[in-house]
Amino acid sequence: MTDAGRHEHVDGTPYAPHTPAETAAMLDAVGVDSEADLFDVPEAVQFDGDLGIEKRSERELRSELSETFARNDDLTEFLGRDHHTHYVPSVVDDLSQRAEFLTSYTQYQPEIAQGFLQALFEYQSLIAELTGLPVANCSMYDAASGLGEAARLAGRVRSVSGTRVLVPELLHENKRAVLDNYVDGTDLAVATYPMDDGNVDVDALSALADNETALVYVENPTVRGTIEEHLGDVGEITDEAGALFCLGTDTAALGLLEEPESVGADVVVGEADALGVPTAYGMGLGLLATREEFLRQVPGRLVGASEDASDRRTYTLTLQTREQHIRKERATSNICTNQAWVALRTAMHLAWLGPDGLVDLGNQCVQEAASLATELNGIRGVKAPVHDRHHFREFAVRTDQPAPAIAEDIEAGGCAVHVLDDHLLQVCVTDVNASRTDELVDAFEEAV
Amino acid sequence: MFETPDDRKYQESHEYATTDGEPVTVGISDFAQDELGDIVFVELPEAGDEMSQGEEFGVIESIKAVSDLYVPVSGVVSAVNDALFDQPELVNESPYDEGWMLKLEDVDDAELAELLTADEYSEQTE
Amino acid sequence: MNHDQARYGDDDRYEPLLSETGTKTVDVSEESPLPDGLTREELELPTSSEPELSRHYTRLSQMNWSVETGPYPLGSCTMKYNPSFTEDVAADPNAAVHPERSEETIQGTLELLAGLQDYLARIGGMDAVTLQPPAGAAGEFTGIHVAKAYHESRNDDRSEVIVPASAHGTNFASAAMAGYDVVELPSGEDGRVDLDALEAAVSEETAALMLTNPNTVGLFERDIVEISEMVHDAGGLLYYDGANLNALLGRARPGDMGFDVMHYNVHKTFATPHGGGGPGAGPVGVREELAEFLPRPRVREQDGQYELYDPERSIGKVHGYQGNWLVLVKAYAYIARLGDSGLEDASAKAVLNANYLAEQMEYDIPYGPFHHEFAATAGDRDAADVAKRMLDYGVHPPTTKWPEFVPEAMLTEPTEAEDKTSLDDLAAAFNGAISDSEEELANAPSKTTAQRIDQATAARNPRLSWHALDEQ
Repeated sequence: MTDAGRHEHVDGTPYAPHTPAETAAMLDAVGVDSEADLFDVPEAVQFDGDLGIEKRSERELRSELSETFARNDDLTEFLGRDHHTHYVPSVVDDLSQRAEFLTSYTQYQPEIAQGFLQALFEYQSLIAELTGLPVANCSMYDAASGLGEAARLAGRVRSVSGTRVLVPELLHENKRAVLDNYVDGTDLAVATYPMDDGNVDVDALSALADNETALVYVENPTVRGTIEEHLGDVGEITDEAGALFCLGTDTAALGLLEEPESVGADVVVGEADALGVPTAYGMGLGLLATREEFLRQVPGRLVGASEDASDRRTYTLTLQTREQHIRKERATSNICTNQAWVALRTAMHLAWLGPDGLVDLGNQCVQEAASLATELNGIRGVKAPVHDRHHFREFAVRTDQPAPAIAEDIEAGGCAVHVLDDHLLQVCVTDVNASRTDELVDAFEEAV
Repeated sequence: MFETPDDRKYQESHEYATTDGEPVTVGISDFAQDELGDIVFVELPEAGDEMSQGEEFGVIESIKAVSDLYVPVSGVVSAVNDALFDQPELVNESPYDEGWMLKLEDVDDAELAELLTADEYSEQTE
Repeated sequence: MNHDQARYGDDDRYEPLLSETGTKTVDVSEESPLPDGLTREELELPTSSEPELSRHYTRLSQMNWSVETGPYPLGSCTMKYNPSFTEDVAADPNAAVHPERSEETIQGTLELLAGLQDYLARIGGMDAVTLQPPAGAAGEFTGIHVAKAYHESRNDDRSEVIVPASAHGTNFASAAMAGYDVVELPSGEDGRVDLDALEAAVSEETAALMLTNPNTVGLFERDIVEISEMVHDAGGLLYYDGANLNALLGRARPGDMGFDVMHYNVHKTFATPHGGGGPGAGPVGVREELAEFLPRPRVREQDGQYELYDPERSIGKVHGYQGNWLVLVKAYAYIARLGDSGLEDASAKAVLNANYLAEQMEYDIPYGPFHHEFAATAGDRDAADVAKRMLDYGVHPPTTKWPEFVPEAMLTEPTEAEDKTSLDDLAAAFNGAISDSEEELANAPSKTTAQRIDQATAARNPRLSWHALDEQ
């Protein structure tokens, strides 16, 4: 069986439009007998074998891959940690999938790319509004690489003489692993500071932060979902130490929680993909915003406003001399391809929510977490939340019985939760799964 | 053709130093500003800084390139051209006059004498 | 033909910003159940209704060039057609899983990843592949870290990475980020690697040579066997930048040329859309000896079950999770749609198109024989101006003024997605633009949404958000 389609019978790529007659005319024009004559590859390194990749029709592939993905179990996910999902409205899919956005390249000819440039300028503006910091870039890959870039930025800032990067002991181990690779090859070294019941241990941090410190990283909400209560103190401590204060957060939390600029944050990183992207196996969007004084140390692309020859306001990539294609080994970063299309979606989602929608969403994240924790806490042998703090979206749960076995039983009951260690689970509730918490509570009760 | 006035001396990295006594004025040549294109940003040291020949004294950025700036003769910075922070384009418009960068005092006259003459520098840029 | 791009707006702007159609400030501490100290005081954001947003973004899209709008021959970027069905495949709701699900419950996801690893290994002639790097530059960063871990595992301390002057800027930056000194190799007279210069550059300090093949002007490095021997004899590794792999599919493989590590640019070679600058994906392939250093976790099949495992001497992680999933799915679907014969044909047509286009162009092309891309020179004209003028002919211009060793370079890569008529139009645009008057060049473009944009003003007075516009 074959698809109906002009090129289905052709023994080549269906995505080259050449008819046999055209190919022949073109070969003739070039003056060769066959395409093979155009390759200047020494015989010793030519490949004469088969790759062994079977060609399938479009319809075959759609059904094959649909069967493949059907092998994923249908679980209700109560998962978060460093990858959060909120309901993405259809209009975001619809508009972002327009081919003019989806199949365009980086805007190296701004006159013909005003649409995407304006959308990215609006993304930068929305992030600036949320963080209170005036300089936001077009995107990093994800929250982890954003933290890595923030550390490297601190290493370049002249007013910072220290080389130690202080991170919380409660930090996603993946994020730490990425950070370690980003600072490998610099003078920077990563160390941890202790936490006190899911928040920064202010006294301990104060003792650790000195003039050897380049950057202090704090999350709000933390990886345990707690809302940080000591951001102002952290701002003062880092200021005194002559270090930069880097705050890790996400776009949904930023609408509700303390504004980073107001607590003295110098750099904000995190998951911009909390809005705009459905769960996509960890595909992210790294936000990065900072103060004006660090503008020339910013990694990645920036869109700026300008004027064109008719004096109308226009947009263009700017300050490109920071970037690898001009400054090579002295660039602020090697990043080239980024997550522009995800940034477009995030901006669309933020615009769709508006200020009321975003604040409502944040409040829902607080309330749903609190009420689910109360329900779980009512189950014998379960303590939730573990930390005596306010929570955003997620919280840790202590179980008397071994947590891995409980998680397995919960999975059998149709829900997925995180296992943190032998007696700790973590549960995340958002607008997406809030209506299905009953399933989780039932599965929990069954499991314990 | 580029202007290369002979009332000053030059180094290969395109900085000039005036020769009519102290303070010595330092900037970049007409040739250099043209090569760089539209200059958008200049970073300079602070008055009082002591600098030795060949040391980096700042950074100049155009829309297509970034270059380090090197001190042509050792000396003490007595003034920097603050106007460049708001109007970096002065380096394009008037490299030898309004687009100057540093004033140096206590300069090493021997070093100054060793720099390229206008003719020697012009040859290099041809 | 009329090539005018959509243009909206008035005398001041082409489309109002979201903020210009109304904003609202919410008193957040008032609205929240949290204690005052834990919330922001207020939040000001635009308030657009869904119908307004729909028009806003539709108009913006119409003021944007894309592969589906017309030819996009950006050299080194491989802007080929992106098949629609891959979008549907990637949007499968069963594929939308959280990255911390247990392995047993995401067998389909892991199967796809394992399948793509296998395809890429076959295409590159590599033994093992990681899909984690989220872009080409991240792939370089990963590959160089793998090389570093390999040398360190042998207590072999090396400090340099050699990069040809013609290489992509990312090569220099990635090597430097990993802590290496970069040794720049000047281009040989024929545009290829100069073996004498390489001989002089390699030493016991050489950790790796990073090479693009065919190189950035489309030339195959004919001396690749000698290059490989030279680097390997010195104890270094050979790194393949996959940006130009679209020239060689099914016809030559980096692994067979002696490369030890490579990255693939799936958003170039395997037709995943660029999305205005990303997301991409930069999987890294290595030969067997280096597999134990790849990022964790890796995916493998054991007795019909797919599982994740951590290689013993893994470099750790380069992405918070497993990379850009949606992009990887699309790449798998594209590769499977083409199969052996399609992949080989894609390269054949890409190379034919480049050669045919070059034949129709009245430009000097200093280096050849080239494959899927070539660097024409604008001669005594300014390549950037010629490019702006080409916009008025209704095509996207090539990459200009790069690589630097070609004067006034116009690096052109038509890809396999253009047919003869389209290439003839493209050639007419090239030929028309270069023969137009200085005045026409200086005033171009005029048929685009915006006229020539002032780059200097943007950089001298950076305005990076709508707040900065208000301060004017």
